[in-house]
Amino acid sequence: MSFFSYAWDWITSSANWHGSDSIPHQVLAHIGYSALPLLIAAVIAIPAGVAIGHRGGRLANVVINVANAWRSIPTLGLLILLAVFLGFSALTWLLPLVVLAIPPILINAAAGVAGVDPGVRDAATGVGMTTWQQILRVEVPIAVPLILLGLRTSAIFVVATATIAAYIGLGGLGRFIFDGLASNEYGPVAGGALLVVFLAVLVLVLFTVLTRLLTPAGLRQQAETEN
Amino acid sequence: MITFEAVTKRYPDGTVAVDALDLEVPAGKTMVLVGPSGCGKTTSLRMINRLVEPTQGTILLDGTDIKERNPAHLRRGIGYVIQQTGLFPHRTIEDNIATVPVLNGWPRKKARARASELMALVGLDSELAKRYPHQLSGGQQQRVGVARALAADPPVLLMDEPFSAVDPVVRASLQDQLLSLQAELRKTIVLVTHDIEEAIKVGDLVALFRPHGKIAQLAPPEELLAAPVDDYVADFVGFDRGIRRLSFVPAAGLNLDAGPVLPAAATVAEALAAARPWICVTDAGRPVGWVDATTLGALPGGTPLGQVPAEPIGHSFTAGGDSLRAALDAAVLSPAGQAVAVDGDGQVLGVATFDQLRDAIQAAEGSSRRQARQVQHAQQGPPT
Amino acid sequence: MMWSWIPGNWPLIWQLTRENAYLGVVPALVGLVISLPLGVVAARWRWFYPPMLAAVNILYAVPSLALFIALIPAFGLTDTTVVIALTVFSLCVILPNVVAGMRSVPPATRQAATAMGYGWLRRLVTVELPLATPVIIAGLRIAVVAGISLASVGQLIGVSSLGYLFIDGLQRSFPTEIWVGLFLVIVLALVCDLILIIIRRALTPWAVHS
Repeated sequence: MSFFSYAWDWITSSANWHGSDSIPHQVLAHIGYSALPLLIAAVIAIPAGVAIGHRGGRLANVVINVANAWRSIPTLGLLILLAVFLGFSALTWLLPLVVLAIPPILINAAAGVAGVDPGVRDAATGVGMTTWQQILRVEVPIAVPLILLGLRTSAIFVVATATIAAYIGLGGLGRFIFDGLASNEYGPVAGGALLVVFLAVLVLVLFTVLTRLLTPAGLRQQAETEN
Repeated sequence: MITFEAVTKRYPDGTVAVDALDLEVPAGKTMVLVGPSGCGKTTSLRMINRLVEPTQGTILLDGTDIKERNPAHLRRGIGYVIQQTGLFPHRTIEDNIATVPVLNGWPRKKARARASELMALVGLDSELAKRYPHQLSGGQQQRVGVARALAADPPVLLMDEPFSAVDPVVRASLQDQLLSLQAELRKTIVLVTHDIEEAIKVGDLVALFRPHGKIAQLAPPEELLAAPVDDYVADFVGFDRGIRRLSFVPAAGLNLDAGPVLPAAATVAEALAAARPWICVTDAGRPVGWVDATTLGALPGGTPLGQVPAEPIGHSFTAGGDSLRAALDAAVLSPAGQAVAVDGDGQVLGVATFDQLRDAIQAAEGSSRRQARQVQHAQQGPPT
Repeated sequence: MMWSWIPGNWPLIWQLTRENAYLGVVPALVGLVISLPLGVVAARWRWFYPPMLAAVNILYAVPSLALFIALIPAFGLTDTTVVIALTVFSLCVILPNVVAGMRSVPPATRQAATAMGYGWLRRLVTVELPLATPVIIAGLRIAVVAGISLASVGQLIGVSSLGYLFIDGLQRSFPTEIWVGLFLVIVLALVCDLILIIIRRALTPWAVHS
């Protein structure tokens, strides 16, 4: 039997759609565990990234270099470490997920704002915009595609990591995976994994559509003609 | 009116970009700052709208020290055009042009209507209003940049190498547009360029900078050509400044000879009777060709001139409007060595030989030498 | 923090480190080998790139754990499962960079090479790929660093790596082990990153170093 047949059998078996640990319940829980950290990370990282990108200079370079260092942090290890020290509280899963979601958003926001053509910046100051006006009316709109890309990368990453968080007792789709691994049943393991994949791809599609909708018209066409 | 009083810009690493600059830009005139790279012309320009702050000295705008004004508000009253245009890529053309009015609180509809007016003023097709900058050509983008600078009707316009990034044909067209705009609007314009030809073409006053921010000569373009103050200026202005200066001398003073001009219906015999080495044949008053006397001599006297094979006219010049330079050019291009002068309707008035041109040029040289002496006196004091 | 645990268990720690290194680096290299030809094709034939990019984006969205699980029926609870899954991940990261790197070669340079008589293969190998190297290595760095970190997750399906220290540490409520695991994964990843930076500098002597 292949991965898909195991998964499909399990997902379509009606017993799994009822009760307190049902598929819909865990899907919703998973979305909740992903959305909240993403939101918090966005609120922190977007303004910070915009400020850093606007400033430019050496700070921006440092931030870019920190990116790679961040990617080396093993999410499983971090989660487990916090579980050991904080027990099974909300902070245990919220903190690492927020911390891991911040870098892609921060870096992309900084890169997006820093990448605004210098001539455009000079013109924005030259026509008499205040710093705030320049940031909000010119730099941020131009940086929107990259900011959304950062959000998308972060969102996918958070969905993936929330799966692992089930290992330390969280709910969500990871619950099916780890319970199944523990009881040697491949059905829920495969089913849970497939559902996670669906969710992640859904998030991808959602953000792609959102990017299309929110990118200022002039930039969208420009990107298309360049490609 | 813009006044620089002993303005200096010194950078932390010691470079002096502008050195105790004193400059007065008269209201309603175009002042061109020209010079080699790194001479401080762009820095000086950018100090006017406080994009760069002077290390020492004061800049006055209509009598007020610009340091006392809020920078953002100051800039909204000054139009700013740069080489790379700096058009906002995420906004349509009309919204780009409407930027400052909207910043000043105008309702968007009114601002867009104003943008429409300006598009017509700078020669942009109105159907481009809803397009985006990347869809326009370089020349069109520059026009948008100028329109954006003029939107709030500022009294002052700053232009930093605005036409350097486009090809020569487009550049000439944009320069002409600027001249006609200025004739209509009479703004105080400060324009920076490294191209001396552009400076001479568009400037009412030209400030030629030396390296490191000092002015070598400040004069109307004609004076710069006629009476450069030293070798540096003469070199910068270029080797054929004598001929170029002739473009400032009107051709109206030229003596014209109507003798060689004959209609196509006239006969060879009449042409030979005129006793000129070359005959200018006209048809309905317009110049058609040159015929030389030797060819005429070999033909029967009754032949109409229209049937004689003729050399092309080359180029003619307009006696009332063109300069001595255009007349000289016409003479050089003519197979007869004589320039054909026409009036505003293209009707031949007469011809000018090299002798007549020489006389006119020498008269102009004479006056230019007088001008140079005056300039020298102004610089050094009368001879002792 | 029980420091004495470390020397006492050094053989285990060292073995886990080696295994983790293998699981992180090999997929990245395989991913590179696959990405190069695909990327060259995509850079050349533009119509090929959008569908390929779409496929890559979707695969990138698939969480690695899910990919491990999906491969179990075919490859069992073995190293191979993790290597294949992480190779897919590496592809997603390196391939766009190969394309971007190829595209970053100035057209004028490419044309000059052709005009001088370079055939397409020689031009590719001696001009385009060397100039694309910095961007390609940037992708490789991400693949290696993230791969080393993701490899530790493989422990959840029983594939041995430094992740063992996390899980064992949790089960025994022994923070020291967890700290050691964290430290080693991060250090291993950063050392590999540094090696790649050195390799990049060696391969691009003409580049300006900021």
